Amino acid sequence: MNKFVFVDCKTVDEALGQMSDGAIVKAGGIDLLDLMKDGIVTPPKLVNIRNISSLQGITAGKDGLHLGPLSTLSEIAAHPEIQKNYTALANAAGHAATPQVRNMATLGGNIMQRPRCWYFRSSEFDCKKKNGASDDCHAHTGENQYHAIMNNETCAMVHPSSTAVPLLAMNAQVELTSKRGKRTVAMSEFYVPPEKSLINETVVQPGELITGVFVPVPEPGTRSAYQKYGEKESFDWPLADAGVVLVMDGTHCRKAWIVLGVAAPTPIRSTAAEAVLTGKTIDEATARAAASAAMKDATPLSQNGFKTQLFQTAIYRTVLLAAGQMQPDPSAIG
Amino acid sequence: MAPQSDATKPAAPNRTETFVWGIPQNGLQSKERQVGRDEPPPLPANSELTYIGKPTERYDGPAKAMGKGKYTADINLPGMLYARMIDATIPHGRIVSIDTSEAEKLPGVRAVHVIEHVYGVAELRDPKMEAPSRYPVIRYYGQPIAGVAAISQQIANDAAQLVKVKYDTLAFVVDRSDARAEDAPMVFPGPADAAGSAGGGGGPKGVPQTGNVHGPQQKKNGDVEKGFAEADVIVEGEYFTQVQTHSALETHGFVVDWKPDEVTVYASTQGTSSVRNEFADVFKLPKNKIRVITEYMGGGFGAKFGAGNEGVVAANLSRKANAPVKLMLDRRQEHIVCNRPDSHQKLKVGAKRDGTLTAIALTSYGTAGVGTGAGTAGPANNMYKCPNILTEEYDVFVNAGPGAAFRAPGHPQGCFAFEQTIDDLAAKLNIDPLTLRETIDENPARKVERQIILERTNWRNRKPAGSDSGPVKRGMGIAQSVWYRFVNMNSSCEVRVSRDGSVELLSAVQDLGTGTKTMLAVIVAEEFGIPPASVGIRIGDTRFPIGPDSGGSVTAGSITPAARNASYQVKQKLFAAVAPQLGTTADNLVLKGGRVAFKNDPSKSYTLKQVTAKMPTDEISAQATRVAEYSKERITYGGVDYVELAVDTETGRVHIEKVFGAHDCGRPINPLGVISQINGGILQGISYALFEQRIMDRNAGYMLNANLENYKILGAREVPEIEVVLVENYIAQSSTDAAGIGESAGIITLAAAIGNAFYNATGVRMRKIPMTPANVLSALGKVQEVQA
Amino acid sequence: MADSPKTTFSRRGFLKGAGVTAATTVIESANALARETKDALHSDRAVGPGSVPVKLHINGHEYSVAIEPRYTLAETLRDNLGLTGTKVVCDRGSCSACTVWIDKTPALACMTLAIDVVGRQITTIEGLSHGDTMHQVQAAFVKHDAMQCGFCTPGMVMSCAALLDRNPNPKLADVKHAVSGNLCRCGTYPKVFAATLDVAQQRRQTAGLVALVTEREA
Repeated sequence: MNKFVFVDCKTVDEALGQMSDGAIVKAGGIDLLDLMKDGIVTPPKLVNIRNISSLQGITAGKDGLHLGPLSTLSEIAAHPEIQKNYTALANAAGHAATPQVRNMATLGGNIMQRPRCWYFRSSEFDCKKKNGASDDCHAHTGENQYHAIMNNETCAMVHPSSTAVPLLAMNAQVELTSKRGKRTVAMSEFYVPPEKSLINETVVQPGELITGVFVPVPEPGTRSAYQKYGEKESFDWPLADAGVVLVMDGTHCRKAWIVLGVAAPTPIRSTAAEAVLTGKTIDEATARAAASAAMKDATPLSQNGFKTQLFQTAIYRTVLLAAGQMQPDPSAIG
Repeated sequence: MAPQSDATKPAAPNRTETFVWGIPQNGLQSKERQVGRDEPPPLPANSELTYIGKPTERYDGPAKAMGKGKYTADINLPGMLYARMIDATIPHGRIVSIDTSEAEKLPGVRAVHVIEHVYGVAELRDPKMEAPSRYPVIRYYGQPIAGVAAISQQIANDAAQLVKVKYDTLAFVVDRSDARAEDAPMVFPGPADAAGSAGGGGGPKGVPQTGNVHGPQQKKNGDVEKGFAEADVIVEGEYFTQVQTHSALETHGFVVDWKPDEVTVYASTQGTSSVRNEFADVFKLPKNKIRVITEYMGGGFGAKFGAGNEGVVAANLSRKANAPVKLMLDRRQEHIVCNRPDSHQKLKVGAKRDGTLTAIALTSYGTAGVGTGAGTAGPANNMYKCPNILTEEYDVFVNAGPGAAFRAPGHPQGCFAFEQTIDDLAAKLNIDPLTLRETIDENPARKVERQIILERTNWRNRKPAGSDSGPVKRGMGIAQSVWYRFVNMNSSCEVRVSRDGSVELLSAVQDLGTGTKTMLAVIVAEEFGIPPASVGIRIGDTRFPIGPDSGGSVTAGSITPAARNASYQVKQKLFAAVAPQLGTTADNLVLKGGRVAFKNDPSKSYTLKQVTAKMPTDEISAQATRVAEYSKERITYGGVDYVELAVDTETGRVHIEKVFGAHDCGRPINPLGVISQINGGILQGISYALFEQRIMDRNAGYMLNANLENYKILGAREVPEIEVVLVENYIAQSSTDAAGIGESAGIITLAAAIGNAFYNATGVRMRKIPMTPANVLSALGKVQEVQA
Repeated sequence: MADSPKTTFSRRGFLKGAGVTAATTVIESANALARETKDALHSDRAVGPGSVPVKLHINGHEYSVAIEPRYTLAETLRDNLGLTGTKVVCDRGSCSACTVWIDKTPALACMTLAIDVVGRQITTIEGLSHGDTMHQVQAAFVKHDAMQCGFCTPGMVMSCAALLDRNPNPKLADVKHAVSGNLCRCGTYPKVFAATLDVAQQRRQTAGLVALVTEREA
């Protein structure tokens, strides 16, 4: 790891004042230390926000769920109100990484993780996502079994955030604060696909800090679930995952949000799958039809064709889980 | 496995003894053997012993549980420097220049050493085929180049970044099948051979080499053409296994304190002797100037023998800096330093209608990177009775880290192919797989083990292949292993008795976590009738009598007879020393239940302490070295493992639900430790079968998953219910009859047993491991082929 | 002659500074280090990049140690304080061998900066036992032989002891969940499960006895 100056901040204003050239914000530090140890980022200064009390805490109110960005994944997973009314978010937080990581990793850091791509994460490889010096996407011509199967023409990275998937499905909003003030960005606008920017993965601008995440209160009849699949059940990066939010009337589905995490460089909604479910009775046949629709436009690479099958399974089983028609899958991670 | 000393030459016999012989389930028998003068009397079966064969808590368990054990990585000596290894960032080429000036200028840096010779890789038969250079040719990404030592690990890491290496690159190849092509880039410009380590590995020398293809090593028995002509049924199969890395939790590493009078080497090694031997060779030092210490060791699995490049670099840095130097590889380097080779095997087996085998033919190609030793023919040649066998094993060089011994070298690969082919044969003959093995397997222990499996598992309820409907399909399968009784004669122990009644054992042998310390404590305890925890065990230091290198399951079988003989002999010395004071003769004394008694008058007995108090000197000691096996016989060990699993055909996930293992390891000394090791073999076998694989980028020649997040190792949630039965097998070959279990414990069988259970579940034969979702869904026909 | 075999991938270190990170987006400039070091002088809280004296609270003791901000807690424990019971295996948070408790919560010492735990209570494996008296979980690990090479053992013990503190009645699945991040290469998991469940049962029995005695005395 490179040498750096460390500034421990106690307030948001103090942190904003420290976020000048080259400084990187550190919250839980899990992804950041990973990147620094591999020499992918070499900041001269870390702005430690982990001790800013105003960024901590979870409040479940009548309007919805207010999540301090420093809430750890463990806190989110264990929160009774989140387990009950925002089930998919509790699932996603509770099944991320390892118990120790969940005790340390924060929600803000989780949604701000850098790309999950072994070419990006090795300092041995240049790529256009890192500084644009190379036009190649090594994954296109190399080892791509874990890479994206959709929207993967420019860059085949996947975004590893589990919590981003239910947050997108639940129409969450992210509050960003800078010296210029605050703004709120919908989760649907939060991530920037590689076609739009090779360098920025999110809309967060230099000098901006995530100061809150808000999830609106679910409509009556809402049920949700999140499941992910990999090669192991103990700590593994997902190869397929699905976040499902259904507004149900008995077995009748009034509205559906289906979000796929590691299918593409950013978490994406599958409107095709949602359309199959909306207005229908949820059963295994409709769930499978939705899953199949979601994968219709998949463009797998040379080695990851299996991910389309895995995604179909993830989607149909998670739809049935959300609808209360299936138990949590023992095949899933976590 | 260890180079075998001539363990078959019997010692000068001077008496005949009757030994317990056989397997309890078959009724124990006795066997007469000629044994040497100094041999202790035969041990009865474990059921009649006090400590041997009884579960004993790990000798160093409390130290390990409390974090007090000092591993090589934990050694902190006064003034110690920290080192970082610098390695190649190209897969093939020549070093033009190395500029270490910036690194040397960094404050805190004390020494830099550039490697002149790379150890542990194949070498050209004719070195003149390559232009001379002051630097070794780079043949794989990650090949060690230099080391730097500094006052902190962070400074050493910083300095490593400042070393500039200029290369002249050469074309490279990292894929085994690509490397076999006629026009493939040549890893070596001519024939090259690699020696194995003390743990095995390495391939045959002097065999033909064409391009990158080294071999074949041919083993021939009978006439396979004739055998296939006589067959009523022939089955054939093609199988693929992957490269597995050892991934020991403690990486390879050394702390070297180079002083003019003695070089002290703390080594994370499986062989203190192998380290001392190689240090002596490399540095042209007499062995009495080298001391190697391995008190605690964080796993080896075959990877850690000898000085290694990291040991040589640490020693050079220590010599240059005139200070102790710690050099531990980082995790990435650990994944690259060595591995279990991959394989592509073609098998053909012929049999009569009753199952009798008539012919076995195996051709295997495997890559050990820039090493050799990818053969897989062990199971095909050694498991079953067959008059006609032909095996041809080829090594294929690629530009990747060298293969090395890895828990039962060649056998998990070989068994994966062979035991699935035997199941295919059973299916074709319409014979139950266990029944077929009754016909073709002559090993008495495995016969008992199969019976145990039959009686204690669900085997009899096995359904026809692919019976389950629905996406999740269940199945069961078995596979058998074979391993060999090897003995390393470099096995000595000293046992000391002190006037205060305390007893201690000293040997250079090391404990890898296999429980060597505990096993030795049990042996001494049995001889003295004192609790194992009260015995002092001082091992892992070459100042003590020489110990065997721990590879090929040799340790228990080699060192325990020396330990028992030394214990017995020191006891005789003690008796002789104190008998006059007790008013009797030494041969009238017996030590039983912790008390010394008169044979002719059991009412006369003393505690051990009362007796040792009468010693004429403060200490009496005896040293014993392993004597030859009592009889010249070829002995193999084996196990039978049974697997129940569920295949989720929509996720491609294979869930192992139950493993039942029946295993034989001679006379078990400490069943608690043996079962731990078998659990470990089973779980490592599952991990190999389902998760692990080295992933190389073929465009850069770089290992993409040299870490523990993408190199996937079985975790807690993948652990099935495991039940293990130990079969005692008395062979009357040594004063303990102990044998190791490291190799035959599950690692050999599990991939094959899982493959057979997978077939039973789905009706589809898995010909490729690891059984990841990608490979499983592909085998099940659920993946559309995508063209790159 | 070339520095690398292909122009499409770079030499190590070539990419340093491409700067989007875990919590905000910044672009690094070449002189940033020098400038920030200067800026740091104007901030009370800014420390480093060189050594800084700090006090760490570990196992109930206060340790004074000079560390650079970049030192991880694992490095500081092992190299600077001689507390080598905490092991480093993957150094990336993938194996949990370095598990310590930060304010009683299991955390990864390899992914924690030592400077970031000033003022927190750290418990390492050395802090679980008292002299030669083992913690109940450590004793159960010995009894069940829940270790082979022992390199994962400190991390396993820390995970299991923390589980039992927050869940006195774990089921097998709970134990598996608690150690799902702890890798063991020797394959000792079954005995780790048995040892942990055994401690839970021992504690239940003790609690039962205490309840019985209390009831009788009442």
